[in-house]
Amino acid sequence: MQALTNRAKPVDRRPMTFMEKIYLPAIAKGMGITLKHIFQKKETVRYPEQKRPFSPVFRGLHVLNRDAEGRENCTACGLCAVACPAEAITMEAAERKPGEENLYREEKYAARYEINMLRCIFCGFCEEACPKDAIYLTETFAPAHYKREGFIYGKKDLLVPMPGEKK
Amino acid sequence: MPTIYIDNKAFEVKAGKNLLEACLSLGLDLPYFCWHPAMGSVGACRQCAVKVFKDEEDTRGRIVMSCMESVKDGLRLSVNDKTATTFRSQVIEWLMTNHPHDCPVCDEGGCCHLQDVTVMTGHNYRRYEYKKRTYTNQYLGPLVNHEMNRCIQCYRCVRYYRDYAGGKDLNVFSAHNHVYFGREKDGVLQSPFSGNLVEVCPTGVFTDKTLKEHYTRKWDLTNAPAVCQHCSLGCNVIAGERYGQLRNIVNRYNSEVNGYFLCDKGRFGYEFVNSENRVTQPLIRKRQSEAVNRATLMQHMSTLLSGHTLIGIGSPRASLESNYALMDLVGKENFYQGIPDDLVYIEQKIVDILLSGAIHTPSLKEIEQADAVLILGEDIWNTAPVMALAVRQSVMKTAATHTTEQVAIPLWHDMAVRELVQDAKGFLANMTVTASPLDEISASTMRAAPDDLARLGFAIAHILNPSLPEVPDATDAVRTQAMNISRALQQAKHPVIITGTSCWNNALVRAAFDIAAALDLTEKRAGLAFVMQDCNSLGLAMMRSSSFEKAITSAERSSNVTAIILENDLYRSVPAGQADAFFSSCKNVVVLDTLHNRTTERADVLIPAATFAEADGTFVNNEARAQCSSQVFMPANSEVRESFKWLSEIRSLKTTAGNGHEKHPDEILQALESKFPQFKGISRSAPPHDFRFHGARIPRESHRYSGRTAMQANIDVSEPKPLQDDDSPLSYTMEGYRGPAPSPLIPFFWAPGWNSGQSVNKFQLETGGSLKGGEPGVRLAEQTGVTPVFSRDIPDAFTARQDKWLLLPQYHLFGSGELSVYTEGIASQSPAPYISLSRHDAERAGLKEGDIVTVKSDGKAYSLPLSIHGSLPDGIMLVPAGLRGMDSWSWGGWVNISTVKV
Repeated sequence: MQALTNRAKPVDRRPMTFMEKIYLPAIAKGMGITLKHIFQKKETVRYPEQKRPFSPVFRGLHVLNRDAEGRENCTACGLCAVACPAEAITMEAAERKPGEENLYREEKYAARYEINMLRCIFCGFCEEACPKDAIYLTETFAPAHYKREGFIYGKKDLLVPMPGEKK
Repeated sequence: MPTIYIDNKAFEVKAGKNLLEACLSLGLDLPYFCWHPAMGSVGACRQCAVKVFKDEEDTRGRIVMSCMESVKDGLRLSVNDKTATTFRSQVIEWLMTNHPHDCPVCDEGGCCHLQDVTVMTGHNYRRYEYKKRTYTNQYLGPLVNHEMNRCIQCYRCVRYYRDYAGGKDLNVFSAHNHVYFGREKDGVLQSPFSGNLVEVCPTGVFTDKTLKEHYTRKWDLTNAPAVCQHCSLGCNVIAGERYGQLRNIVNRYNSEVNGYFLCDKGRFGYEFVNSENRVTQPLIRKRQSEAVNRATLMQHMSTLLSGHTLIGIGSPRASLESNYALMDLVGKENFYQGIPDDLVYIEQKIVDILLSGAIHTPSLKEIEQADAVLILGEDIWNTAPVMALAVRQSVMKTAATHTTEQVAIPLWHDMAVRELVQDAKGFLANMTVTASPLDEISASTMRAAPDDLARLGFAIAHILNPSLPEVPDATDAVRTQAMNISRALQQAKHPVIITGTSCWNNALVRAAFDIAAALDLTEKRAGLAFVMQDCNSLGLAMMRSSSFEKAITSAERSSNVTAIILENDLYRSVPAGQADAFFSSCKNVVVLDTLHNRTTERADVLIPAATFAEADGTFVNNEARAQCSSQVFMPANSEVRESFKWLSEIRSLKTTAGNGHEKHPDEILQALESKFPQFKGISRSAPPHDFRFHGARIPRESHRYSGRTAMQANIDVSEPKPLQDDDSPLSYTMEGYRGPAPSPLIPFFWAPGWNSGQSVNKFQLETGGSLKGGEPGVRLAEQTGVTPVFSRDIPDAFTARQDKWLLLPQYHLFGSGELSVYTEGIASQSPAPYISLSRHDAERAGLKEGDIVTVKSDGKAYSLPLSIHGSLPDGIMLVPAGLRGMDSWSWGGWVNISTVKV
């Protein structure tokens, strides 16, 4: 068979010499490499105590925003869902009733809003499509879950807490 | 055919059209607002500007509104000319200065003509940054929402509502930059065609209030072509579903049937599908746990079938497939129509007339184009509203056509034609029992008992064809009126006679036939249209089965009867006494139905049936047009199935011959066709279930359908397999063939750049013309030139009796429907039950308006408040038919007032 690259290295099948048979020089050489790395700069960080800085365009977990008065921005227009290439967003709209003006900014709101994080590819198209500055991709990773159901994010997972309210 | 040059390319176009119609028919994109194919042009919006050139040398040209310019041979125009495109984008920019930036909350977003046109003209960024004009919105009733800020002043709403549909309570107020379209004050829109404002309005001023309750964008709906279930006209509709709920109904254009418009009952009366009153589980009553699964049900059914006499009761609102499956199960001789004898007799008469081939039955479009209309007895405003709208067009357009024949003004030039026509109208004679809103456009009206109306009909027939017998003892008034009407009918080229079953009088049907047949002898193409009661009344009647009374007799003869009742609330169809008698003589009652009602309460076995939205089915409308209604969604609850599926499965218990495979609806239709020659051709009403485009199905969902992987994720993270529809070429996915589908299978109207319903332009051969590939549906009755057999049996004149009244039903558009009242907004407009007498009768009996009157009908006493009816003839009692909770009375019988409490 023809070789695909010219990097093939023929195997050296000569019998080992005495020096090679006692292995000590090879162990010393290996230990040398190990010791050299102890004093070099570390390639890893001690996550989660230490964190790397994010790139300014990093896209992580979504949040649904509120305005300055704590009202939900989302009007359930459906543009994020239609922009989503993974078709991972779905919502059901509802009409704001009189007396709910302090909860929802506009006359419609999302009664149900769900993202399937298993499907989401974090492309950020939803954020781009949103005409109401409601959905944002934050700098948080999607946390791990023991069950797949945990990755279905509803409104209570996505909505930013009210000012003063604990999540 | 004239040739015009568009951007230096030659096109052959149809003469008599305007440039906008010509361009759109050629498939070019040209923006417009005020023009509507059904309403013509007024040149109000200035959006459809094109440049017209004098000749080949002319480079300057002039801007004209394409909707106001006729097609001329050799005409040169440019759509893409720089000045014209700039003009159009400036117009839209100016319209958009006051249009709010609220597309995200607007219900129209995604199916908005204004959005489409704005994108089409290239106006992408707004420069206007000042305060916008705002209005106060009005409450327009429970069905239509008003949001006046979005208005762009195209005037379509008032032109439709007032000019086209004849409404009076919507108008345009104020002036300049504050023009307001609305009512004089808040209140419910009075026209039963107000729902069309939702589709007529190019933007979101008028939107569907029932959709607001469970709002979904057009692109997120799963759609399918369906047929309206609320009257016999069989209007074509598109039904949309999401999350297992029917979300809205929009018009499905069919040039032969409903054209561009629906009535409010058809548009909004869909909520019964989502009702909490649905039957969801098979029940076997009188045992410990009544709810059972399918296996237990089938086991129980097999014991009910063996050794029992089977009786099947069909239904005028169930599909032909289901009715035939029941007939197949119980045998032809044991299958009965679930309607009274009198009605079966009249319907049989109608079927005989239609199938004889002696007369032409017109489509709604032909009624629109008729130049003289005679309505004999039928209250079409309430029983067939879209036909009333068609009759109105015939009256208004006949005069316009006459005028444009004399003056060189094209018919589409709406304002100019109106100026010329003024108050002139075509001929309409509205002969009914009581007053109707159609009276105001009628040239001749008459208020009389059904027999007297029939006598008038026979008198007209005698004048048209003197070989027919003269009506004995006719009064002079009747003679003069008959003379006037017959003269108008004789002068017409396409006269249409309309009658129906709502008077429960067969003489009317015979009289109408005599008139139409007599007119036909004089080398005219006369039409005879019948109005039936339910969406498949004619289909059931064409199966020629016996009436409910015969079923009672047969049940009483046998001791071991299992009755299977198909989607029929007998307490609504037949008098309560008869229904009770039937139930008491049956040993087992099996009911298949969609909603709980009084009949399902009497069932020993109750089987959940699918509604029209969850079922495939074929329905025969009043003109014997068989139309296929496709399944819109599969119910999540697998116990809810189409009746014909249940019945086929039950039948397989009886025979061991079946191979266990389900029958497809088109195979049932083929079996029906081979058994009954009168249904010949019905299996062509839609392509068969295995129809494919190069192996691809037609998707029910738009290519923008969103949330596919998330919608069900909260129930089951594993994405389920897409639903399989084995019964039609439509699929439950976004994938499939996106090109032009055969017209019975168009799930929704959409074209690139045309997201709103206006995209129907792209599906038509020419604007306002027929769909490419022909209209859906197959007509089962055509005129064959058979010599008509006239009826010579003239009824005696009606005489009011002493203390006895002829009982007739009064149908109400909002309220009389069994299913439509599940929509809150329709139920709230339904009248309360009443008993109506003429003023003279009430005075004679010493009764006042609102007095409680007790009437005995079929051994049951009913106490209802009296409503005095000014236009009602003496000797007749009108009672609203089919209101929720009301029994069916023996219509056409005589009743007396037994007690009077004040």
